[in-house]
Amino acid sequence: MYAVEAHDLTKQFGSLLALNRVSFSVGEGETFGFLGPNGAGKTTTIRILTGITRPTSGTATIFGYDIQQEKLRARRSMGIVSETSNVYDDLTAWHNMIFTAELYHVGRAEREEKTKELLEIFGLYGRRNDTVHGFSKGMKRRLTLAMGLVNSPRLLFLDEPTSGLDVQSNLIIRDVIANLVKEGVTVFLTTHNIEEANVMCDRVAIINRGKIAAIDSPEKLKKTIQSVQSIEIAFDHSAKEHLEGLRELATVNDARKEGDKVRLYTDDPAAVIDGVTAYAKQHNLRIISMTTQGPSLEDVFIRLTGLTIGNERRPQK
Amino acid sequence: MTDVLFFIRRIPQEVAAAWAIARKDMRTYYLKPNIIMSGLLFPLFMFLAFAVGRNAPPGTLIPGLIAITILFSASSIEPVSIPIERRVRTFDRLLSAPITFHTLVVGESLSGFLYSLGIAMLPLIVGIAFYHTPVLHVVTLMAGLVLSAFCFATLGTLFAAYPTENVGEVMSMLNLVRLPLIFVSGVFIPLETMPVAGQYIALCSPLTYANDMIRFAYDGTTHFGPFYDIVFLILFILIFQFVANRLYKKFNQ
Repeated sequence: MYAVEAHDLTKQFGSLLALNRVSFSVGEGETFGFLGPNGAGKTTTIRILTGITRPTSGTATIFGYDIQQEKLRARRSMGIVSETSNVYDDLTAWHNMIFTAELYHVGRAEREEKTKELLEIFGLYGRRNDTVHGFSKGMKRRLTLAMGLVNSPRLLFLDEPTSGLDVQSNLIIRDVIANLVKEGVTVFLTTHNIEEANVMCDRVAIINRGKIAAIDSPEKLKKTIQSVQSIEIAFDHSAKEHLEGLRELATVNDARKEGDKVRLYTDDPAAVIDGVTAYAKQHNLRIISMTTQGPSLEDVFIRLTGLTIGNERRPQK
Repeated sequence: MTDVLFFIRRIPQEVAAAWAIARKDMRTYYLKPNIIMSGLLFPLFMFLAFAVGRNAPPGTLIPGLIAITILFSASSIEPVSIPIERRVRTFDRLLSAPITFHTLVVGESLSGFLYSLGIAMLPLIVGIAFYHTPVLHVVTLMAGLVLSAFCFATLGTLFAAYPTENVGEVMSMLNLVRLPLIFVSGVFIPLETMPVAGQYIALCSPLTYANDMIRFAYDGTTHFGPFYDIVFLILFILIFQFVANRLYKKFNQ
């Protein structure tokens, strides 16, 4: 049985088509990433899958339960961590946890035990009797995640879990998620952090303008755009003045300055290496380092979403 | 069979969840200045504006003061708390929890209900301690307090269903209903002395029955009789609960 199954989910807000026949499935124990630019439909998808928003058409099931027809059964097995740290500022950390546990019908003894355990894991037990009002952004985020886990969910929805967090909170949250995955919890996460998805997810779906552009494992997605390979070179002189010259080399699709280095995009790395070596000799440049790199998940994301920065478009072959 | 068992097992869980929502509101909102202002001070000043200068002994005005205190205090919590929770996204927690909209509406209403019962004790105690106003029918008074408090708390929850993050918007709409109710429900102007049209309008106001029942408990005078007061207050509760439930469903899906 799938943890999540979405069939032809469509959501229309007035004239805006927020989701357009979105279909996918997430297996039990899988970590599934949902990537997309702002306004692509990520949060709308989560709101439909958690039963907060009704789709215009299409269906979704959670462990076999239809989220619209059997909402309460479906929700019992899920934990939800929303994009904003939606904690009750005037309640203590302890009361926030207990309240959430009560909403999820967790028994008295279990909720106190689970609350203690989670507050300890997230480094908040010492502050359990303080109102959340005085907590830092990272502490509130950790508490939000702890609240999402208080009912021991089989499926965890994480909307931008580590966005804008300090290093300590980031590490704690990633560590907790890694442990949940080991325990067999299914994780459905949306993120802007492509590297996070690359490291954490078994599969990712890339959504753009309400449509799924691709679904696969990060490595398989990268293989689909092998043409976006690159070579990173550092010279002993400033690379800035040679950017145009390097761009003119045969088989170089684009050249970009990255710090004190230059990155050349190509579909033929070997030819570019020869060309760069000849260029360096001709201009009396010494090559300090040269590394070839395959396409990143970010390249896949940019390719599939057609992301542009101003008028500039990242290289696409 | 499993559906029936699931439903039966759910009832105590839903009750517990409603009580948890009420407790959360108590901890969070009871001492908020705008709730104290609209729930306690507003009815007091409104009452003084009408009571000062009248020939009636102050003690006879206590039932009316209790009725409007309950109206304002019971209906003041949710119109403040729910828009705030929408703004800070904590309301999403309630919408995404495994609870029904009925539980949400009852839980939200419970906090206003308990708040107003506590606030209503003030004029009650003032009446007894300072004006020696006797209560003839204690049980009727208790029933009247409980029913009217829950009725007006549900009214507040109903108005808070309006999908806004602005407290002022809900309060403006609510006051558009609450303020006229005071004048058409026999609180300051006895029903008998009102024009016929006014008397018909009074029949549509839950405050009419709350005021009538509380007045009966104090001095034994009544327009409808406590039985009909109870029936109509229960009817208003059911209507408000039903409409609130439908509105929360409509605006949140």
